Amino acid sequence: MSEQNLQGSLINSELIASLAARTALETPGVLRLEPTIKGFLASLGPAALANFHISGSQDGSYRHDGVVARINDGTATVHLDIATDIAYTALSVAESVQERVRENICHTGLNPGPVHVHILTIEASPGSIPR
Amino acid sequence: MALEDTRRLGCGRSIDQIWAGMDQPPTSHEEDCELCQAAKARMQKIKEATVALRESDLHNPEMTLPAERTNSIMALARAEARRSKRLVLRGTEYGTVEISEQALSSLIRLAAAAIPGIHSRRCRIEVQSDAEMGSTHLTINLRVATASGIDIPATVEGLRQKINKAIPAGVGIDAGTVNITVEDLYDV
Amino acid sequence: MNDSNPACDADTDEGSIVARAQDGDLAAFEHLVHTYQDRLFRLAYRMLNDRTDAEDVVQETLTASWRALPMLSDVKAFGGWIYRLATNKCLDLLRKRSARAETITDPAEIHSTLDDGATRAPLEADPVASAEWAAQQDGLTTVLNTLPAVQRACWLLREIHGRSYAEIGVTLKINPTTVRGTLARARRRIAEGMSQWR
Ligand SMILES: [Zn+2]
Repeated sequence: MSEQNLQGSLINSELIASLAARTALETPGVLRLEPTIKGFLASLGPAALANFHISGSQDGSYRHDGVVARINDGTATVHLDIATDIAYTALSVAESVQERVRENICHTGLNPGPVHVHILTIEASPGSIPR
Repeated sequence: MALEDTRRLGCGRSIDQIWAGMDQPPTSHEEDCELCQAAKARMQKIKEATVALRESDLHNPEMTLPAERTNSIMALARAEARRSKRLVLRGTEYGTVEISEQALSSLIRLAAAAIPGIHSRRCRIEVQSDAEMGSTHLTINLRVATASGIDIPATVEGLRQKINKAIPAGVGIDAGTVNITVEDLYDV
Repeated sequence: MNDSNPACDADTDEGSIVARAQDGDLAAFEHLVHTYQDRLFRLAYRMLNDRTDAEDVVQETLTASWRALPMLSDVKAFGGWIYRLATNKCLDLLRKRSARAETITDPAEIHSTLDDGATRAPLEADPVASAEWAAQQDGLTTVLNTLPAVQRACWLLREIHGRSYAEIGVTLKINPTTVRGTLARARRRIAEGMSQWR
């Protein structure tokens, strides 16, 4: 896990990942972050992960279910995999996630780099009205 | 393997024929033929035991796959589904927005489900995007089965219009080119 | 996750559901899993006589089907195809068991792997085993377990699951005439076995 000592505060990629995840989940229209195959294998336990190469910690990035964050020269880059609510327009939701995440990265003192958003599924949430 | 079931009774009927007619009332031949009646009686016990086994297995709550097995199957399918094709919707300095082909096709299926007389089948989506211009053009190739007896051109046109509304509303881009192929009819 | 997807209601034809599952539609695949899992379990249990092995076979079959689905060219052939996958997994497992049995020296273990290695004494605590006692009284299940594996598969597919001669032939890589012959031989062995049982 990379650690950047920036303006007296200790910000690492894990912190950026959790910040990005939280911000995404608070954005209207985001139902949840979507686990990837790696997250699924991790849920099966160490045996399933044993022959699965984990690239995360070597390049200083941090990954968790649905989020990857990387810090390079004081700039934070984020990837998010999300499920969106069918009652919202998916592209607007994704753009709003980008904006909010970049804004919150600014508050940490790091420079916001690109925030890549991947919409994995669009679903009806229990409370939404189907179109 | 030998062709052992050419065995026939003296009356010319094969054992297979008699077995096939076990659960039916006797034919006019069988009513008069003692050979057939005797053969039928010999096999009656097997037939009854087979039906009893089939029924008891079918209704035995223990003879089912446990829920945790079903959950494992679906969890793995879900995890692997995450690798489906990605289509780029937007690319700016703030980052890219991608959508899985599956998320798009689920919207299209939902639109199709609202049209009576159509069952959506396979759906392939291509995207041509010009990131600089911020423009994205979709080509949707949807295959469907239609109910036999419906007005196919009108129904397909209704589906096209529905998709043309659903994609901008759900995704935020135009539906682009929508190709619909009727590949099968189903009975209602 | 796609449970709320209304695209798979009860009256959707199976061909369409299969086509959607081929595209990776999870709700459609889940529908197929629910349609076939118990049928396949009943087949596998009667083939293998072991609850865990039968569950493994069904789980492996359905998982393999998810991966191989896009290659299935005729959506209407799904039923036959999934039965074929499951049957052949059962037969493979039985072959492995009998290969193992040949190297076993403990007499108790030899006793539990009769004939083609199919017959294992069900566990006392196995609820399926106790619940089936009524059906077993006529000896059919006992006799079934003494049949060679291919004969048993033939019998179960045809008489319990109602699959066609043509499909069974494809599954077992034999022609439909041979399927009839195999069924006839199974029927005779069952008749003999059941009369001994009485
Ligand atoms: Zn006769």
